[in-house]
Amino acid sequence: MTRAGIVRSALIGLLTAGLAVPLALLVAASMADRWFWPALTPDRLTRDAWGSLLAGGRLGGAAATSVALAAATAVLATGLALPLGRALARLRGWRRGLGAAAAFLPIAVPPIALATGLQLSLLSMGLGGSFAGVLLAHTVPALGYASLYFLGLFALLDPRIEDEARSLGAPRVEVWRRVLIPMLRRPIAEALALAFLVSWAQVPLTLLIGGGAVRTLPVEVLAFVRAGQDRYAATGALLLLAPGIAALALGLSARRAEAAPL
Amino acid sequence: MTPRRVPLAALLAALPTLVGVGYAAAAAVGLAGYGGRGLSLDRVVRVLGESAVWRGVAFTLVTAAAATLLAGAAAVLLAVAFRGSAPGDRLARTLAALPLPMPHLVAAATFVFLFSQSGLFARLLHAAGLAASPAEVPALVYDRLGLGLVLALAWKELPFLALLGFSVLAARGPELEETARSLGADPRQVFRHVTWPMLWRGLLPGAIAVFTFVAGSYEAAVLLAPSDPLALPLLTYERWTDPDLARRGDAFVLVLVGVAVAAAAVVVHEWARARWAPFEQ
Repeated sequence: MTRAGIVRSALIGLLTAGLAVPLALLVAASMADRWFWPALTPDRLTRDAWGSLLAGGRLGGAAATSVALAAATAVLATGLALPLGRALARLRGWRRGLGAAAAFLPIAVPPIALATGLQLSLLSMGLGGSFAGVLLAHTVPALGYASLYFLGLFALLDPRIEDEARSLGAPRVEVWRRVLIPMLRRPIAEALALAFLVSWAQVPLTLLIGGGAVRTLPVEVLAFVRAGQDRYAATGALLLLAPGIAALALGLSARRAEAAPL
Repeated sequence: MTPRRVPLAALLAALPTLVGVGYAAAAAVGLAGYGGRGLSLDRVVRVLGESAVWRGVAFTLVTAAAATLLAGAAAVLLAVAFRGSAPGDRLARTLAALPLPMPHLVAAATFVFLFSQSGLFARLLHAAGLAASPAEVPALVYDRLGLGLVLALAWKELPFLALLGFSVLAARGPELEETARSLGADPRQVFRHVTWPMLWRGLLPGAIAVFTFVAGSYEAAVLLAPSDPLALPLLTYERWTDPDLARRGDAFVLVLVGVAVAAAAVVVHEWARARWAPFEQ
């Protein structure tokens, strides 16, 4: 083997280990009953963390809250971002720069900074510590990501397609219903997935706005890790990985299906 | 939405953030919030005069820069090594991209399981006879230098930068490099004058985004960073939830410091883009 070949094999080995070792460790930790120093493998296995998840224990409740929150955030953010991104893409010159900066702002500002200001506004609306308050807070960064996504997309899309539909007599609602939405089915699905994942992984906004009352999966996992409850922490962490892996797999298969000749 | 109404739409998108930051700015100078008693710079001066704040800011900037550089260097290595169309290249590109949707919290929690003083790495050291007890294992979690934090964040951000590197080389690489070769450049010159400049300019926007994100990240710091110096996001959270209401207002000054770091990164990004845009035509 050449020197370059050895380096390449070593890198592929490292990449594989970087995926497999953490994953195997999480799976083992999620089922380890006793795993004292310096044992390399658990002494005894248990299914109680996974069982409590299925039985709707603390982890199960948190997972349900997270799914509901992320799904609602995805719908809200995508619904707002689609017209917003389209409007921003129609701008030219400094207005376009300003619009892109506005969409970028909630992403660039550290979440902790976003949370302090949002907390006061939401508290004054009586939404602190509530599901609705956390939903609105999650929507802010999710809307930023989704608007930038649609801005990029509409910048590439020929606006004459819409003009043509309108010149053929379609009212505005029909242009959306019959032209834009069917054409954008996949981008809409991707924006939904993006916004879902932004909410799904969110920690500081949930902690500050939810004030400990809204217990999402990341909030519980953080608490379990800090309390040294490794089994529950690992189970929750594996669960946190699931939607991202699903989105990646679906995206890849959709791309492959599109690339395949008819 | 007509084009005329668009600045309004942009304003709406930015409004929650602007309200938040504006409120923080007003509260920092005593015009709003807890203990606001009219315009005064006392709080700003006092908070910015604390050495804990400056050590926290320095810690955050240094660890974020180190994690970004580490991930960037690894991304360049992978992009150059696996740019071809052989099965091994494609496999490596997929492996590098797969952890992309992993939440930061999962990366940090996994890192704790792997590298805490009784984690898997420590047990492997023991099995190899290199450490008799957990106390002899080098601390990578809560360590003062933030080494564990840097490694975990670099691992987490690598897939994003690697994907960017792959796409930069795939989109523009072959043509320009072929031109350089046909003009008589040897492989070393092609890399130095074509591939490398193209890669780092292509990676720069992504690297700046990573830096901003990492510097503001709360969940990785809370699991891996030391309590002294206290990283900026942790310090902000600590003040904001302080039982003493008068001290809570200090968080607003720290929020402004965090926003200033992010804004500086965006300015550097725009400067670099304007500087290099003419070469990209």
